[in-house]
Amino acid sequence: MKLAVISCIHGNYEALNAVLSDIDQQKADQIYCLGDLVGYGPHPNAVVEMIRSLDIPTCQGCWDEDIVEGLNSCECSYPSVLAEKRGRLAHEWTQQTLHPEVREYLAQLPLSLRYETLCFVHGSPHSQHEYLLPEMDAFVALERVLATGADVLFCGHTHLPYVRQLESGQLQIRVQSGDTDSAKTTEFTAPLRRIVNAGSVGEPRHGRPNATYVIYDTDTAQVTLREVEYDYRKTCADIVAKGLPPIFAWRLAHGLEFAERADDPTHVCER
Amino acid sequence: MLWAILSGIEGNLPAYDAVLADLRRLRQPVEALYVLGDVIAPTVESVALVERLRSPQHPHPQPQVCQGWWEEQLLCLYGLGRTAEPTELIERYGAAMVKTLWEAVPRSVVEWVRSLDFGFFELDCLLIHGSSVSVSDELTPDTPPVQMLDRLMRMDANLLFCGRSGLTFQYALQQGSITSTVVALDGPAERHTVTVRPRQVVGVGNVGRIPGQATYTLYNPYSNIVEFKTVRYGSGRGFQSRTT
Repeated sequence: MKLAVISCIHGNYEALNAVLSDIDQQKADQIYCLGDLVGYGPHPNAVVEMIRSLDIPTCQGCWDEDIVEGLNSCECSYPSVLAEKRGRLAHEWTQQTLHPEVREYLAQLPLSLRYETLCFVHGSPHSQHEYLLPEMDAFVALERVLATGADVLFCGHTHLPYVRQLESGQLQIRVQSGDTDSAKTTEFTAPLRRIVNAGSVGEPRHGRPNATYVIYDTDTAQVTLREVEYDYRKTCADIVAKGLPPIFAWRLAHGLEFAERADDPTHVCER
Repeated sequence: MLWAILSGIEGNLPAYDAVLADLRRLRQPVEALYVLGDVIAPTVESVALVERLRSPQHPHPQPQVCQGWWEEQLLCLYGLGRTAEPTELIERYGAAMVKTLWEAVPRSVVEWVRSLDFGFFELDCLLIHGSSVSVSDELTPDTPPVQMLDRLMRMDANLLFCGRSGLTFQYALQQGSITSTVVALDGPAERHTVTVRPRQVVGVGNVGRIPGQATYTLYNPYSNIVEFKTVRYGSGRGFQSRTT
């Protein structure tokens, strides 16, 4: 079975359409979506309506949560005052633009999805706001997969697509209880696990403006990172026309993150 | 240098006094006294205990107290916690406990609880009630090694002292390695093998939960020696039942 996994569409209808066409060409049997349907982009309602009309299983992203719950995360969401100002503008614009039924849809999205030995989340199993970056410590990354009980963990949020294989993990521990004199030494062997980051359909940060997503073959366990060209200029023009901060159009055109990288990407916001 | 590390006094002032008396009997003076949360419990005796902690008697150092599970539930009860309602309290003890806690612990204590830290980081040691994840995170001798390592690495601590389980234990991660291969859109696959340096999680025991028996931990940061202490107190001293 061929699965297509998409994430972080961020109100970019042009990009979503291009990716859905590519998924058709790849003959995927099922699509999963890892959230962040809205935010930054100019067409949040159209994106949600498309996802709903295709009945794509979707989990809730951090933007989807913020739109429902309000912006009440701590300062970790924004690494600078400038970034916070832009983020708030985008949040307010999206709040005003969203249709009530779209908001209701976002509110009821699950935090994770399962299919056999695969798990799908937006950020990490612990939080929609946690970044599983490819350079994250391998044991910490392994803990995120083991926490789900799955063999493969699909995530998004970083906007950087990658496949990470974690293998040959072993730990030696020595445990002594306070009420006994004897200690027990144990060898722990970690099973092979994988993290697959689906990248971003609507706001890529890999250095090019193209949309990214992944194809996963459940029979062969093969992962294919897909990069899809589309008319990003149209989305950029719409961003400016709708009155969203022009910097969002600039970074979409360059496929770059602009001053939005948190100092500590593993920090989990305490709400 | 010697640290005394306590947790879970749970409003039991006689138990705390018994531990302080035990500390006075030590040959080496205690330089730092840490109390890793659960100072209070849903009992009126908690108020007197808080007063004692805020105004320690000579010759004991000023206790450094962080929030525990009961403190978090109290803050939630007053709308000052991480959640709007004390959902964990209700799930664990039932709705009636909300009223009991509300009536037992006055607002004056709430203000003090609110001022407490989430934990302490001293030298290379994290001292905390639950773990670097939350006050509810219960680390025990049976916690999977990768989970233990994660809790240490979240704060890059070599030692993590915790009290949520109430158990005394030493859980040493002695060595380990894992191989990671990352394939991105551009560039060749990057393959690395990382190793683990020795780290340790220590369960510091519980002072007040079992009547007549308090457990706590001594730690010498220079020698890295951990010692668990059990103090028996009260009328049944030395013969007190372990069950409540």
